[in-house]
Amino acid sequence: MQVFGKTQDNLWTLVAAPTIWGFHFLFSYFLAAYRCAPNDDVFRNIGGTRMAISGVTAVCLLLILLIARRAWREWRADGGGYSNNQDTPEARERFLEFSTLLLAALSFAAVVFETLPVLVFWDCR
Amino acid sequence: MTDTTDQSPTFADKEDEAVRRAQEDRLRAVWAAPKGWRYWSAVNNTEVGIWYTALSFIFMLFAGVLALIMRAQLALPENDLVTPDFYNQAFTLHGTAMMFLFAVPIFEAVAIILLPQLLGARDLPFPRLSAFGFWCFLIGGVFVMGSIFFGQAPSSGWFMYPPLTTEEEFTPGYGPDIWLLGLSFIEIASLAAAVELIVGTLKCRPPGMRLNLMPLYAWYVLVVAGMILFAFPPLIAGDILFELERLFDWPFFDPSRGGDPVLWQHLFWIFGHPEVYIVFLPAIALVAMIVPTFAQRPILGYSWIVLAAVGTGFISFGLWVHHMYTTGLPSISLGFFSAASEAVAIPTGVQIFVFIATLLTGHVIHSVPMLFVSGALANFVIGGLTGVMVALAPFDWQAHDTYFVVAHLHYVLIGGMLFPVVAGVYYYWPLVSGRKLSDRPGRIAFWLMFAGFNLAFLPMHYSGLAGMPRRVWTYPESLGVGTANMISSVGAFVFASGILIIVWDVLRPRGKEPYAKRNPWNAGTLEWLVEMPGESWGVRSIPAVTSRYPIWEQPNFIDDVDKGRFYLPDAAEMKRETIITSVLDGKPLQCLRVPGPSFMPMIAAVFTGAMFIFATFHWWAATIVAMGLSTISIMVWLWRGTSLIPEKPEKDVGLGLKLPLYKSGPHSVGWWAMFIMMMGDATAFLGLVFGYYYFFTIHADFPPPSTVGPGVLWPSVAFGLFAVAWSTALGARLSNQAGRVGRARVLMAAGALVALAASAALLWGPYVTGLRPTAHVYPATVWVITIWTAAHGVAGSLMLGYCLARSLAGRMTPAHDIDIFNVALYWHFVGFTVIVTVGTLAYLPVLM
Amino acid sequence: MTRSGVLAAALASAALTGCQGAQSAFDPAGVEAERVLTLFWIMLAGGAAIWIVVIGISYYAVKGKSGPYSDRSGIRLIVWGGCVFPVVVLAGLLWWGLTMMQELRRAADGPTIAVSAERFWWRVAYAVDGEPGVIRNLPRGGVPSANEIWIPLGKRTEILLSSPDVIHSFWVPPLAGKIDAIPGRVNRLVLEPTSPGVFNGACAEYCGTAHTYMGFRVVVVPQAEFEAYVASQALPAAVVDGPGAGLFLQNGCAACHTVRGTPADGAVGPDLTHVASRRTIAAGVLPTTVENFAAFIRSTEHLKPGVEMPGFGMLPDEEITAIAKWLGTLE
Repeated sequence: MQVFGKTQDNLWTLVAAPTIWGFHFLFSYFLAAYRCAPNDDVFRNIGGTRMAISGVTAVCLLLILLIARRAWREWRADGGGYSNNQDTPEARERFLEFSTLLLAALSFAAVVFETLPVLVFWDCR
Repeated sequence: MTDTTDQSPTFADKEDEAVRRAQEDRLRAVWAAPKGWRYWSAVNNTEVGIWYTALSFIFMLFAGVLALIMRAQLALPENDLVTPDFYNQAFTLHGTAMMFLFAVPIFEAVAIILLPQLLGARDLPFPRLSAFGFWCFLIGGVFVMGSIFFGQAPSSGWFMYPPLTTEEEFTPGYGPDIWLLGLSFIEIASLAAAVELIVGTLKCRPPGMRLNLMPLYAWYVLVVAGMILFAFPPLIAGDILFELERLFDWPFFDPSRGGDPVLWQHLFWIFGHPEVYIVFLPAIALVAMIVPTFAQRPILGYSWIVLAAVGTGFISFGLWVHHMYTTGLPSISLGFFSAASEAVAIPTGVQIFVFIATLLTGHVIHSVPMLFVSGALANFVIGGLTGVMVALAPFDWQAHDTYFVVAHLHYVLIGGMLFPVVAGVYYYWPLVSGRKLSDRPGRIAFWLMFAGFNLAFLPMHYSGLAGMPRRVWTYPESLGVGTANMISSVGAFVFASGILIIVWDVLRPRGKEPYAKRNPWNAGTLEWLVEMPGESWGVRSIPAVTSRYPIWEQPNFIDDVDKGRFYLPDAAEMKRETIITSVLDGKPLQCLRVPGPSFMPMIAAVFTGAMFIFATFHWWAATIVAMGLSTISIMVWLWRGTSLIPEKPEKDVGLGLKLPLYKSGPHSVGWWAMFIMMMGDATAFLGLVFGYYYFFTIHADFPPPSTVGPGVLWPSVAFGLFAVAWSTALGARLSNQAGRVGRARVLMAAGALVALAASAALLWGPYVTGLRPTAHVYPATVWVITIWTAAHGVAGSLMLGYCLARSLAGRMTPAHDIDIFNVALYWHFVGFTVIVTVGTLAYLPVLM
Repeated sequence: MTRSGVLAAALASAALTGCQGAQSAFDPAGVEAERVLTLFWIMLAGGAAIWIVVIGISYYAVKGKSGPYSDRSGIRLIVWGGCVFPVVVLAGLLWWGLTMMQELRRAADGPTIAVSAERFWWRVAYAVDGEPGVIRNLPRGGVPSANEIWIPLGKRTEILLSSPDVIHSFWVPPLAGKIDAIPGRVNRLVLEPTSPGVFNGACAEYCGTAHTYMGFRVVVVPQAEFEAYVASQALPAAVVDGPGAGLFLQNGCAACHTVRGTPADGAVGPDLTHVASRRTIAAGVLPTTVENFAAFIRSTEHLKPGVEMPGFGMLPDEEITAIAKWLGTLE
């Protein structure tokens, strides 16, 4: 995906941000499961796991922000606004860009939500 | 693309009454449903969609009667109206039927009716696939539901937790097998529908309907069908493990041999939670069509709805463990799912506020559909709020498996799904029968349903927290929930009486009642182009769309459609045709010939169903015969009905536009169908692989050090042979395309043989190292992944053979190469499957 | 249903009313249940307020407003009502839920009790030493009992839970939420009672026909009393011979039941060494009386449909009575 300059949006660019959420979710889940699933010695500290997930969180949030920035810029360049029901390629772009922006915002919030457990839980109990 | 100034003879002719009449006669003849007993060979979306819908409602009523029996039993403490055994069968079938035979199929059914209308298409791209799905649904559903009349119904709850269900000593008889095989069969129908609907939404839109002009219903259908594609396959993987344990004692869920019953819960709920949204979103999609009509304005916040639908689609895959909060998983794992469960409320809230905002900014017209929408909103918001509560693990530890959860899920499903669907029935009934349903009975029915529903389910929140677990046959008076249960039971019957009124209103003969006027609700979207009563052709001509609400916003629109001034106003060659367009902008790409009536889908479904039913009763010889017959009938169906070479390369579709009649590769709908089907297939495979890695994480040593694996040698040999088979498939496609038919044929023949050898080599590995699948979960997991991949090799071999036969029969040529193109695509997926299989089974244990 | 069945059901019904402890999450007597109930009331109040506002706005939009609002105000409603407000509220709620989970699962400082959920009763062992885990079985040994669990007041007692057959779920609503008993896994649940008393527990995960009748009692007593109780449960049976004991052994009861101090050492069903000291028989179904022992031996299936123990209605009444009387002495 291009970050600078104009790109043509499609269904794949639309779902890029939630896909990153999905990756973050699965990564966190699998890493925690690998560390904690045997379920013994439940009060052992899992600092490494928490650090790893936090690191991935930072990268994912950054990627989502880049997606949001690109969508935002191009949406503004295509005229911005909530009206995207015209029969023009610009309206289609504007629609996809604005929807991408919204999905990026949702994904950002969801990734932040997904990181709260890492802040709260320091062991496998 | 569109040249409206074109004054070609065809265009002029359209203004000629006689020409128009002749066109209409031809269209009517081409699209007419077959008569007499041949009626059941119909495949058109209007027929199949209505059968599908009607059958779903019949199953719903059946499951509803079971619920009333349960409520009668629970009305009084220590009641013994029914036996515990019947009660257990009743609650299991009630849940199973409502989920698998009503909630999911009704989406497919309604979408099959509505989607082509909404997109101004004459039909979906694979009508026979829809028909096949319907017949699978009929056979599987009757099989599962019928079992209760023989006292053989499954009785362990609709999520069938092992080991209760896998061990013969706990569940003697065929109950779980009936549940499992019957539903696996219906899952196939759902996947067929998902393929149909995704391709339909992406490729069968009318010319000019860009992504930003798509009706919201189509957005929801796209999201939901995509969810089905990734949600159902893990359950199919789970079903395979489950049935292998039941039939052959492979110990996937048996802890004494290394298995773990919780694996089933993971696979079931990876399906089961998205499934809630698979049920909910299509119903909300109906609301998204109804609200703008009765607010008399376009939806406010179109992008926000798309955000909500897509966002929910994704996040709903991160919720599954919230059904497993009490299984003792580590807190941090529960935390991730708790977070996602809270996050999913955000897009859901957005949808609701979009509807409210649309109503706030419009002139609201009162009507029965709107009444049901309001009821849906009031009830669903309660379900959503209790959903936010149970998403918090500590609260769920109290509420889980009690009547609180029973109440919550019914508020979500009845408020979020049944009420909108009934609103949809009232709204869309004119499309089906040409008449509106009655107003007054509709209002009475609504108030009975609304009051009855809340009477029935609001007290259950209390009963649950007061200590009443779910799935109890009765309860002691001293529990103190007698009054609450009595109110619930009365409410249930009041609710049922409302439904009965609707059933009566739908079924009562209407004799001479006049038809409704066209577009009776004054809606803006394409489905309301239908004449009252409807013609079998759907739309008279396929319109060029430039707006989200063409009937409202495009001048003279209905008249232009009716006079045939748009595309495909004729069926000159007496063939069923529709237009295929591009994904982003709806540019016309192809005139697709869609197949007409045929008994082949029904025959194929009967044999496939027979295969599953025989397997249920362990009649192995009959199962194998049925499997053979089913394969043959599918082959015959494909041979005679697909990738037909047209009599001319392109045709004039009207407005001066010439479109090709044949496209292959990524431009063809068949290629997309194969691609989508294989995405589902790969997901099911990853479900099995998930099992392997799941055991890897919970065991200290996996593979167990005492066991030998399949070795490295034979999997490597298989890997090499599969690589050869894959390259022959690709080579055959390229050679054929380049006109070197002879070489292509040699490659196809060689590929078919090598694929068989590769499959054999793959199976030889665990065989020769003596892995016994009943000994431990490790060999069982190795075998199931190996067999899956080998079976794909054999199927790939059959496909290459099929292409060879097509080529020899002259049904596949260098210019008409859909078959080999799709088979080569299939082989790419087999390649992926082989890499994962060999990597996981042979190389990973060496590396670890 | 047969005549005797009706009679038996009537008896069971009368019996059930007599022996109930509390089974409601609305009357908490444990730290976890208290915190969760507080959480519930606050969520209920918040939820009710949100519902009223949402439905109020909808009603206003449909019936109340004098004319359509502008698109701009509509979008503002979506942004604030549909996005900002839920994100903030849900994030706060999530934080509360997560921290509460961490808090509730902290380590125990009291005894460890192994509870094995079996179709359709609860095998209990005091004074065991073990750990939770996956692909693991409950620790063996300890002081055996069944269907009644005594725990000390004010301590954090660790319950180790598993099952040899199917999945069950251990739920004592007044004390805490539930946790599943899963074959091949040992789960932990910490109970921290805040007031003494007798509380009802139930199996919450469907486990077969008698799921409905798989109850138990939790008895919360001061620490000293708890210790005395466990010591008394460790002793052999009070009365080890007599006609009832002879018939018990002779009719095959000993194949499934243990009565320590007698040759009866069956391990399939509940340990009956001190059965008369327990409040209920048949896993919370009937109060412990000699008549109920007799009724249950005579016709298990009517009193507890789906039960694994066969009825011994073929025995002469006087034999059943003798066995019941003997069981009544096993305090």
